[in-house]
Amino acid sequence: MIYLVEGLRHRYGTQTVLRLDRLTIERHKIVGLIGPNGSGKSTLLRLLAFVEPPSRGRIVYYPEEGNAGNEDARFQVTLLGQEPYLLKRTVLANVAYGLKVRGDTESLEKRAAEALEWVGLPPRAFLRRRWFELSGGEAQRVALAARLVLRPKVLLLDEPTASVDMESAQRIREAALRAQREWGTTIVVASHDRHWLFEVCDGMLHLLKGRLAGTGAENIILGPWRQCGQDLWAKRLEDGQELVLPGAPGPNAMALIPPDRLALEHVLEDSSDSSPASAPYDGACRIAGTLLRLTLERAGGHILATVAVGRSLFTATLPPSRGLRPAPFYPGQRVELIFPAHDVAWFS
Amino acid sequence: MDYLTEGFIKALHLLVGGHPETFSAIETTLTVTSWSMAASLILGIPSGFLLGYRDFRGKRAVRTVVDTCLAFPTVLIGLLVYAFVSRRGPLGELGLLFTPAAIAVGQTILALPVVIALTATAIESLDRQLRISLLSLGARGRQVLLTSIWEARHGVIAAALTAYGRVLTEVGISMMVGGNIKWHTRTMTTAIALETGKGEFAMGVALGLVLMAIAFVVNVSLAILRKRA
Amino acid sequence: MKGKLRNTLLVPALFLALFACAGGAPQAADKVLQMATTTSTDNTGLLDYLAPMFKEATGIELRWVAVGTGKALELGKNCDVDVLLVHSPAAEEKYVAEGYGVERTRIMYNDFVIIGPKDDPAGIRGMNASAALKTLAMEKIPFVSRGDSSGTHKKELSLWKAAGIPVEDKADWYIQTGQGMLATINVAAERRGYTLTDRGTYIKYEHTLKGDPPLVILAEGDRNLFNQYSALIVNPQRCPQVKADLAKAFIDWLTSPATQKAIADYKMLGKSLFTPNAER
Repeated sequence: MIYLVEGLRHRYGTQTVLRLDRLTIERHKIVGLIGPNGSGKSTLLRLLAFVEPPSRGRIVYYPEEGNAGNEDARFQVTLLGQEPYLLKRTVLANVAYGLKVRGDTESLEKRAAEALEWVGLPPRAFLRRRWFELSGGEAQRVALAARLVLRPKVLLLDEPTASVDMESAQRIREAALRAQREWGTTIVVASHDRHWLFEVCDGMLHLLKGRLAGTGAENIILGPWRQCGQDLWAKRLEDGQELVLPGAPGPNAMALIPPDRLALEHVLEDSSDSSPASAPYDGACRIAGTLLRLTLERAGGHILATVAVGRSLFTATLPPSRGLRPAPFYPGQRVELIFPAHDVAWFS
Repeated sequence: MDYLTEGFIKALHLLVGGHPETFSAIETTLTVTSWSMAASLILGIPSGFLLGYRDFRGKRAVRTVVDTCLAFPTVLIGLLVYAFVSRRGPLGELGLLFTPAAIAVGQTILALPVVIALTATAIESLDRQLRISLLSLGARGRQVLLTSIWEARHGVIAAALTAYGRVLTEVGISMMVGGNIKWHTRTMTTAIALETGKGEFAMGVALGLVLMAIAFVVNVSLAILRKRA
Repeated sequence: MKGKLRNTLLVPALFLALFACAGGAPQAADKVLQMATTTSTDNTGLLDYLAPMFKEATGIELRWVAVGTGKALELGKNCDVDVLLVHSPAAEEKYVAEGYGVERTRIMYNDFVIIGPKDDPAGIRGMNASAALKTLAMEKIPFVSRGDSSGTHKKELSLWKAAGIPVEDKADWYIQTGQGMLATINVAAERRGYTLTDRGTYIKYEHTLKGDPPLVILAEGDRNLFNQYSALIVNPQRCPQVKADLAKAFIDWLTSPATQKAIADYKMLGKSLFTPNAER
């Protein structure tokens, strides 16, 4: 265990943005952080980086050697923000800044050059460049190099590839994974790219409105819900299907469905008279969609199926092949997601 | 209009001909403003940083007070300092009245709010991500302070120049606590006031032009420095 | 953070100490005499003429601040100067009576003149001061006053009093500038009015206009127009820091026959300005 979070409450003004009763993060692992914008991902990362203290509760950092506490975290934990700030100096000065802060000024240039190579920037071309001579993707890579040069024990990444070009995104991902592989750096990464997270992460944390909502793959159906009967709530999905579910606490609630509760079934192309996605009390709801892709989940060895309904994506776990029949699914098929209504968890 | 051309010619005479009275006033002006600028920058930049960077209770009240002090009339500062350094004032024992040091103290009070307010504004307008970046790279305390000030250097230089403009041109403080004593506490501005009072308008214009020349030299040197940074 | 706070408090203290050192050093030289005088005295250039002579004779450096009469007296009250050279007899008497100053000594006088347009629309040429002012008030001819409580303004008020005319503060013909003598003369010239000025300022005014000024001297020489200068020592019993011995030396030197002659010989722009009248 490298982090222990207990009884955490974080407030901005009167609004509580984060509320985590207990959370642990294991050493040397890659942990994914997902959730919609404003769910508290960035806040959690800033707290884990100790750049601001929590309003209440505690976050304990356990260094490999020495006592538990937050003193060592200063030089062992580093955070790369979504739009990191580059100092108005040269690339070299930016990459070397953290080392200078540590009073560790031996062969600065050589180490900075190495770090730049990690993120795919040729040092000879970049070391002397000034901050305004970089593209967005290059700036982000320089910022990552400035963290990697420190050989951090923990690397916190806040949507590091959200606003960069494809090549930069690829380089950033590779460099981060390499740090974990070579130095055993613990990585906590927030991203909207679920697909990638499922591939690389050892564990996932799903944040919703500042609370831990599960292990990451949960499907979310946002409101507004229209009340259409005694405790029955309807939502028209993007492609026109209507989903009716019981038990919503209010019109703006969010419905959460764990992926292992979703079963996948083929839809025959000609049976277009299938019933709508509403079957409240008989237990089974159905949503029709198109199978987009299949991903092997790194953590559990499951196969995850991503299904598009309109433009929303749903994730279902296919059970490990049970010998009888290997799942005859492939991307592009029309499929139906089937789940029991009572497995829906509500979030207000 | 004659005053202006005559003043211009006289200004050249003063500078080229080495008019000792003028040079004494220039020296006093430069000495006194250097002291007051050094003091107000050393005190003002860190205070401005704290005001712009930190959140604390009563910050807005402090900000309002500082902003109000921007409008501090120099005559009032002069009276205030006089009240303290007069022989019968609380600091009378120091014998500061009618010395360049007393002027420097007054000018420091004049420049300090300018430096604090403008530095705070410069620090406030820095990217919020700067703080997070610096902290997450391990910087603390003085390192954050110095790096932030360096990042806001253009704003801080502007603050210093604005403050310098004020101390260089003020008359009220120099007159009140300096006393405009020839060879001793006569500054460029009190000399201008004196000459104008005597009706020597051309001389007043000439001295004013010399003062402008000093300001010009200071600004040009800083502009060159700024380009390098 | 605590260390920083301490530094923040330390720095101003350090600076005050530095300022004190920088300021204290010249003050420590014992042979400096600090005087407060009036702007008009300073503007005559007499002090620039006398100070080097005084230094040569006694080794004492004379430093003076030139301010309004009121402020000069105030500086003495606050013990900020050692000696005063002023020209406001009524205020000086009161000052001595209240114990702020001692050894009031007459040094010299110059005089005030009443000036007005060359063609003299009020016809006061050659009158004495009282008659001239009476005529102006009766005819309601513009009179421009300093209106700034300066020595000259006080003199003007005493002349109105002597003429038995209440000062018409709000009358249209009575213009108060609140400015210096030269600015006031310029206002009088613009308004084709009369004003009271010290002779020194008038000589300069005449000189800058190359001897052809729009305003000329119309009344002068009246005893009431004399402007008596006196020196006072700031009471050393109230102000122990006052260098009474140096001040005494200065007054002795001013009243010596040689200095008195030097004062009489002093010329500004070729014209005599002061008449010495010290009594030894």
